[in-house]
Amino acid sequence: MIVAEGLTKDFRIAERRPGLVGSLATLLSREHRTVRAVDGISFALPAGSKTAYIGANGAGKSTTIKMLTGIMTPTAGRCLVDGIEPYRDRRRNARAIGVVFGQRSQLWWDLSVPDSFQILRRVYDIPDTVYARNLALYRELLDIDALGTTPVRQLSLGQRMRAEIAASLLHDPKVVFWDEPTIGLDMVLKEAVRTLVNRAHAELGTTVLLTSHDLSDIAAICDDALVVDGGRVVHQGTLHDLLRRADRRSVVFEHRGGPGPDAVVRAIGAGLPGATASVTPEGRVRVDYPADALTSRQVLGFLLDRFELADCYAPEPDLETVLRQIYRGGVPAARDGGAA
Amino acid sequence: MSATPGGRLRLALFLGGVGLHRLAAYRLDFLLGSGAFLIRVGLQTVAVGVVFRHVPAVAGWSYHQVLFLLGCALLTRGLDHLFTDQLWELSRKLIQRGEFYRYLIRPVDPLFALLSERFFHPDGIGELAVGAFLVVWSGTALGLDPGPLQWALVPLLILAGALIHASVKLFFASLSFWTVTSMPALQTATQLSEFAGYPLDLYHASLRTLLTWVLPFAFTAYAPAVYLLHGDTGLLRWLPAVTGLSLLAALALWRRGLSRYEMTGS
Repeated sequence: MIVAEGLTKDFRIAERRPGLVGSLATLLSREHRTVRAVDGISFALPAGSKTAYIGANGAGKSTTIKMLTGIMTPTAGRCLVDGIEPYRDRRRNARAIGVVFGQRSQLWWDLSVPDSFQILRRVYDIPDTVYARNLALYRELLDIDALGTTPVRQLSLGQRMRAEIAASLLHDPKVVFWDEPTIGLDMVLKEAVRTLVNRAHAELGTTVLLTSHDLSDIAAICDDALVVDGGRVVHQGTLHDLLRRADRRSVVFEHRGGPGPDAVVRAIGAGLPGATASVTPEGRVRVDYPADALTSRQVLGFLLDRFELADCYAPEPDLETVLRQIYRGGVPAARDGGAA
Repeated sequence: MSATPGGRLRLALFLGGVGLHRLAAYRLDFLLGSGAFLIRVGLQTVAVGVVFRHVPAVAGWSYHQVLFLLGCALLTRGLDHLFTDQLWELSRKLIQRGEFYRYLIRPVDPLFALLSERFFHPDGIGELAVGAFLVVWSGTALGLDPGPLQWALVPLLILAGALIHASVKLFFASLSFWTVTSMPALQTATQLSEFAGYPLDLYHASLRTLLTWVLPFAFTAYAPAVYLLHGDTGLLRWLPAVTGLSLLAALALWRRGLSRYEMTGS
């Protein structure tokens, strides 16, 4: 559904010099420096997939989305959305996609939300049944009626985002591109937004590409992850696979009899070089260990030998840890048999 | 549906209706704008009157002929104003603030989507009304008796003039794709267009050439007025070519701008 082949985007940036004399010099001489925002990215996302587009600030996420939505033309390479090159056939592409840029409104600034929806209804030729169905959904989940006839420019960020989300889904698009769709939303509304897109996916098979600083958005919506770093794809696969790339594992357990939790922590520190243990607020013991120094067999074997375990589980590494590691640079290849 | 001409017309009318509806929100702004405009045209008329109190003719033009020319200028400018005022926003801030993208994600031609946000701008209605009044009033005073051919040509002349205004505006507004804002350039061009409301014969040859062949505002009022007043078709013969070329140049620059658009920010 979404294909990128060697997709590249360069920006020409005028060199500016600091200071008053510098800006005069800039006015006269036009020196440019080329910055490659997206560096030959290739990927293919199947129809009906829900993918998180992940990367640090400046990794080229937004630039890629702007090419996939037809807003910008690539410097080299190409991309296809539902078989269309978006920047060459903008109008046909626009019918198939829904877009949210959390930082930039796409609504009519001077108009109320109902007026904007009436325009969208005509612009996209939305059938009456679809329009009525979707509007009922937005009433229920986003409380869209509460926005009333206030012009968009007078809405709060949270109110505006509700309208942006609804506007991006109103015409039942085949593909949804959401760039930071939940900024300014409280927990209840975030939940509603996730429900909306998951519902569209379940009922219509909508393909989703999402970027978000809120990792719980990603966890709640996406099955797959596409990770870019320095303008290149460093991971494409399921979110689960991505989590298994974490370089740290942990085990949490409860034990009966024997030494108290503090003594257990000391015993683990002495007996398992590289691992660190701590007591959780619930009185359990948590062991964290680097996946390249210790295997889960070594850790569990050690624990089973020494203590009488009453309960034990290995929590999945959380996305934040994995991403922090990626953003710092260097993602280790996926390891096999890492999970206990 | 909106791909067919009928569908687009319906969409245009709907958006125009929305535009008028929006006026309700800016009623005071509208009243101030119209008031200021009427005062300006009123002063212009008075100033012309004062000049002609002292001299019977200027460069061969009588008082009513000058007002006729001013009326023609207002008609073409008003028709353009009615549809293309959003180009000012393009030159002023749409590129700079990264807002322009919204015209590229709708299944509507981007230029149509852009212009439609300010269809039926009220200032344009005022200019058309005052322009029509000046033309009819001074035309009657001059005892003009247009033949059927001239009557048939009048709507075309106004349309061509409006298209020239629109082309120049689109050209300078499109520069913002390269320069981020192009407000000063567009303002300069608009100020030059003010000269088109007076007889070209008043100006130095260099300004006359500029207004005829570079920024062809002469064709928005002077050429049609000379034809309607004196039957002089010397300049008018060039009108179709000038209109067509202006439009082509503006649309070409607009298209190039679109393809190099860089949405700023994240």
